[in-house]
Amino acid sequence: MYNYQHKGPKRGVSLYSYSADFGMIKNLEDCLEDMYDMGAHGLEILANTHIENYPNPTDAWVDEWFRLLNKYEIVPVEYGNWIDSHILGHRELTTEESYRMLARDIKLAAKLGFTVMRTKMPVIDDDLAPVKNWREFIEMALPLAEEYNIRMCPEIHTPTNLKSKMIDDYVEFIEKTGTKYFGLNIDFSVFRTEFGPGDHRSPKFTPNDPEDMIPLLPYIYCCHAKFNHMSDEFEETTIPFRRIIEVMQEHNWDGYLLSEYEGADKYTPGYEVGQTLRKQHIMLKRYLGD
Amino acid sequence: MLEREVIQSVGFRNIRENGSITGFQFKIRLPYYRGVFLCQLRPGTLFVDGERFEKEDIVWNVDGVDYTWEDMKTDMDTHWNVTRPAVLKVKKEGGLSQGFHDLTYGFCFTSSYMPPIMQDALDPDEEAVIFMPEFGKHVNSRRLIIV
Repeated sequence: MYNYQHKGPKRGVSLYSYSADFGMIKNLEDCLEDMYDMGAHGLEILANTHIENYPNPTDAWVDEWFRLLNKYEIVPVEYGNWIDSHILGHRELTTEESYRMLARDIKLAAKLGFTVMRTKMPVIDDDLAPVKNWREFIEMALPLAEEYNIRMCPEIHTPTNLKSKMIDDYVEFIEKTGTKYFGLNIDFSVFRTEFGPGDHRSPKFTPNDPEDMIPLLPYIYCCHAKFNHMSDEFEETTIPFRRIIEVMQEHNWDGYLLSEYEGADKYTPGYEVGQTLRKQHIMLKRYLGD
Repeated sequence: MLEREVIQSVGFRNIRENGSITGFQFKIRLPYYRGVFLCQLRPGTLFVDGERFEKEDIVWNVDGVDYTWEDMKTDMDTHWNVTRPAVLKVKKEGGLSQGFHDLTYGFCFTSSYMPPIMQDALDPDEEAVIFMPEFGKHVNSRRLIIV
């Protein structure tokens, strides 16, 4: 498997960015070739989207997966999975059922070469607080995650604040268990300072300073390099990317920044999200000195 | 390849069984950005030229297997992928006539990571209060031809 030797923050892409095109005008190989053009080596997929016949891909598909990763010099970094506790509607899944869902994804992620999972938690309120039994099913899964070398990471996303009870609870869990197999994925939407007319801003949202990330860095196994607006001068105009990257470099953080473009305009017919990603990667290359 | 429209033009035809036409079918794609397990789906109502078909009378075929609405409600293992259209089969003696037909179909799906208040209000036959393009529209219409 392709091995990218580079310490520090490095560039990658979440294929979620292609959500408006995937299956219609782009397939998996098209997305990976676009990444190769950008020199982006780190990959995030969404298991339920990008794995053919998920959760039971054929051996032929898995062989093709590794062929494509080698061809386009891609490192499988983060496997996006969901714990869908509310799947049945009339009742929540039990801890055991949630664990089984998680265990299935841990094994499949490892089979495809991933080392981190973006473990999307089911929520119980408008503040996106996770279900009450999250500690139980995560703790049940820790031995399996260790066996398969997978770090489960909930994604911390706007309007959540890095200085909040949710984050304190996650950190307390990590420190209490001493685990290296549960951590955080920070989505850079938490650092957004600029909103244009018509942009949605949750009343619950207060932007974090990039420095707020410092005490969390040991628990962050990858990040969503969320971006909203790239200028034609290759600057992101809503999130302080330069400072975020400086903070990570100053503290010797090592991991992937996975580009995630979520702008609703990508669903406009004719919108070319690949070009938007390329703009961001010019910016990231400059800031990273890559 | 898939068409951008949720209701696909390819796959719209009458169903012939043992020499007689017993109904019709059409294909839909999932407009969500990720696949769903069948119990996540909330199928709604189909209208063809104003004629109403209830969810209990529509069979979903996913990857070659037929599922009734009852089957789907508790199926946590069968996954409908975004890249594979589902075939919807409807009983109607004699099928649909030659020419144009106006199809309107509603369906939606749950998402455990969205606030429960939004989940509780989900209605396959009405749009969500806030439209999010990565979830698609609940109700989709298309005018298509039977040959």
